[in-house]
Amino acid sequence: MSQPDPATASATSVRNGIDPRGPRFGAAITATLLIVALFLALLGANLAATVITVIVVASFAWGAIAGVQRHPYGLLFRAAIRPRLKPPAELEDAAPPRFAQTVGLVITGVGLVLQLVGVPYALAVAAALAFVAAFLNAAFGYCLGCQMYLLLVRFGAIRRSANPA
Amino acid sequence: MNPLTAVIVVLVLLAATTIIGITWRRRTGRVREVSAETVSAGDIGADTLGERATLLQFSTEFCSPCRATHAMLLPIAAERTGVAHIDVDLSLRPRLATRFGIAQTPTVLLLDAAGTIRARIGGAPRRDELVARLDDLVKEHRVSA
Repeated sequence: MSQPDPATASATSVRNGIDPRGPRFGAAITATLLIVALFLALLGANLAATVITVIVVASFAWGAIAGVQRHPYGLLFRAAIRPRLKPPAELEDAAPPRFAQTVGLVITGVGLVLQLVGVPYALAVAAALAFVAAFLNAAFGYCLGCQMYLLLVRFGAIRRSANPA
Repeated sequence: MNPLTAVIVVLVLLAATTIIGITWRRRTGRVREVSAETVSAGDIGADTLGERATLLQFSTEFCSPCRATHAMLLPIAAERTGVAHIDVDLSLRPRLATRFGIAQTPTVLLLDAAGTIRARIGGAPRRDELVARLDDLVKEHRVSA
């Protein structure tokens, strides 16, 4: 016996299903770039740290705007990694990783802008925060959208409710 | 910052993040006993609760484990008489998140026949633990009925 809630939008149907290991592979690359950027920023090699962060910001922007399926890391995963793996147990919706890319874009984008206007350690702090999220996603399958989205809704940063309960 | 300090900062961050990840993995999806308030069908915008027990799932929009949890709970409820699975999207009902103190999704509340919250699971549930607790609850209802 099961009642579908009208408020739940097609929870079981996976539109544009993707291999869940694809975004984790991309997160591993991102985490590596971010920890290198952090290290360089701490050393005071600001130009090198900024260049790497620009690459990360551009990569997040690509994922957030075009979606993770059309992302270079996603293409690399499909071309080079997935043929060596067993088929995935199940496919996932592409929307949650895209949300995570948007969060990453905001964090690293703000850090980059603050660094460029001269706020000390802005880039290091942003790289560290984004690293934590990317590393947890890559190594442990941690889902940022599951934790952050609800907080954003509760604090009113995202308003979606047509019928608040 | 000198190179040694920078290396130490990076290693500390890596270690701290790993500890967070291991702790999260260990805790997520476990059944926790709670004795809390009673929920009515109207509270969550449903028609009825299960006669014997209800798996009340809270989900959000950008949450892959919520979909996997939905797919796990659906047959568990369907195979048992009097057990309902209700999936509520908190993106549309944020006040319920405040009321039940929900910080992450999926969160599953296990309700007894009266609608009282008996157990709570934060994160994607571990199937065996959940089924064992649910079957206890259903049995308990049969004995008392």
